[in-house]
Amino acid sequence: MSTVESRPTAPARPPAGADAEGAPLKPPKAFDRPRFLKFFMGVFFLFLFVPIALVVLFSFNSSRSLQDFQGFSTRWYQTFFETESLRDSLVASLQIALVTMVIATILGTMLAYGLVRARTRVSSSLNVLMLLPLVTPEIVAGASALLLFTQVKLDLSLTTIILAHITFSISYVTVVVRARLVALSREVEEASMDLGATRWQTFRLVTLPALWPAVLAAGLLVFALSFDDFVLSFFTTGESPQPLPVRIWAEIRFGVRPTINAIGTFMLVISVVSIGLALLLPRLFGKRESGLKVLLGREGA
Amino acid sequence: MSGDTVRAHSAEPSASAIRFERVIKRFGELAAVDDLNLEIRKGEFFSLLGPSGCGKTTTLRMVAGFDQPSQGHIYLDGEAVETVPPYKRNVNTVFQSYALFEHLNIEDNVAFGLKRRKVPSDEIRSRVAEALELVELHGRGKARPRELSGGQKQRVALARALVNRPSVLLLDEPLGALDLKLRKQMQVELKGIQREVGITFLYVTHDQEEALAMSDRIAIMERGVVKQCSSPEEVYEHPSGPFVAGFIGVSNLLNGVVQNGGVKLASGATCVADVPSDCPPGSEVHLSVRPEKIWLDELEEGMVALDGTVVERVYVGTTTQVIVELAPGMRVTALEQNVARARSDDRWQIGDRVRLGWHREHARVLR
Repeated sequence: MSTVESRPTAPARPPAGADAEGAPLKPPKAFDRPRFLKFFMGVFFLFLFVPIALVVLFSFNSSRSLQDFQGFSTRWYQTFFETESLRDSLVASLQIALVTMVIATILGTMLAYGLVRARTRVSSSLNVLMLLPLVTPEIVAGASALLLFTQVKLDLSLTTIILAHITFSISYVTVVVRARLVALSREVEEASMDLGATRWQTFRLVTLPALWPAVLAAGLLVFALSFDDFVLSFFTTGESPQPLPVRIWAEIRFGVRPTINAIGTFMLVISVVSIGLALLLPRLFGKRESGLKVLLGREGA
Repeated sequence: MSGDTVRAHSAEPSASAIRFERVIKRFGELAAVDDLNLEIRKGEFFSLLGPSGCGKTTTLRMVAGFDQPSQGHIYLDGEAVETVPPYKRNVNTVFQSYALFEHLNIEDNVAFGLKRRKVPSDEIRSRVAEALELVELHGRGKARPRELSGGQKQRVALARALVNRPSVLLLDEPLGALDLKLRKQMQVELKGIQREVGITFLYVTHDQEEALAMSDRIAIMERGVVKQCSSPEEVYEHPSGPFVAGFIGVSNLLNGVVQNGGVKLASGATCVADVPSDCPPGSEVHLSVRPEKIWLDELEEGMVALDGTVVERVYVGTTTQVIVELAPGMRVTALEQNVARARSDDRWQIGDRVRLGWHREHARVLR
């Protein structure tokens, strides 16, 4: 791509007569980037962001109207934070996301370590099995979680939501951490033991520091996923407090009120911040690789 | 040094640094190492040489403790270590991939082993500085591994291992990832460092030149079995069999049958040769002659002589390779030095009839 771009637009022509076939050099048309691709890209991002932008905009509307913007105000945010039940829901969602993040990250990292380093006969099939939660329709996961909790007579509460969230989050952590672990040569861990570190010291002093950017990125990703989640939460939630997305859904059934816009915007900010941290923090720690690379498992050893 | 290292409670001083006693290592059905008996002396530069898959790396990993022998015993400083985990063995390894800790700077990489052994911090500082001095990396202690070149990383890996003053240093193809020129330079340096620190080196390589250049003794392995174990000169001049002769340097291996006092080659010519007593007349053998031991024309009195046709001439700088066909399918390579008084380049033309020969003692009869 960059080679096309860096091609000089006005190429210096060879002196006349120096080259018998010295026709003026023009970059062949066929290799120019077609303009319409840019157009499609624009349209794509327009469709992607306009609805979100509208929500953000109308969350600051001074009137109740969802059609015309009449002036800037923060009254809907005020309503949001002053309504006790909404505040409880926000706190509940943050609790769920935090607990899920911590536990799923620890378990997922352990699973990744086991899958990569244990090298058993079944580990290749386990590697596939582990991906199952990623492709299971969430509604199936939610329904089956509900079924399980009723079977074992567990009362629906924040705990059940957290359990369900952890279950589906572990796979995300494992996928991200495993990619990083595979790139970490086994010889590095052997070198550590060779130099007198026990297995546990090796994990703590060598493996974990190398995995740290991935663990961090995975954790924040899980936080964002859990904070946003509706379907699983809907199936596993108790009466009160309900997590914010479930709460919004309940509100909307009685008509869309501008408070929803404020809540939506607020949630958006939290998600964007956590995803942003997931991308940025590894770079601050590792100095070289971006979190995007870590998340996509593309970085080198 | 903490009390749980092997060296610390070794009962009595022993002359051998490592001893393998009937060591077998199986991976499933395959015996990667088959009945290995070796003794490596203290202070020796010992190489395990062989093609990939010959079991040399497995042997090294068993000494380090990463693999356990299926059978037999390994003694480090006279003490059996099969059940001792890697972190309690007084050996250190230099890996082919260097295996540096990317999240630590060079100093911390080198200090890693000393810290695990709870060496006092000022001693750590002085020993790390000393080790970096030894590998000529002083002043780079604060750099990160990724800022170093391949050769420098190699030196860090070496310093990181040597700083612990192990009783044996294990090197697993440490120069394998370097380019040719740097490799040659590092060979000389490694040998110098070994002489300086006096630590036993167990060196694994598939590069015969490297092994010849550095080792006090070489063990040549093939399919888990040691074929020959002796000094570089001995291995080169007196290979024990066709595998060793072919693997070490270039060798002409001519098929033939033992006849009274010599070998009758497949081409029909008979050569006088020293036939070992275990080759009775009629047994099939190889006659092995090094290319540089072969003379072309101008033969001396008493040489073994054969006639042939020049089929190829390859100029390679300091020498010219002349390939002579004795009979269809039977070719001999001879090396001629391109010395100052050299004959002109075109001394040999393809198609020339030549008479080649060698001194009787330079030919080896191998079964």
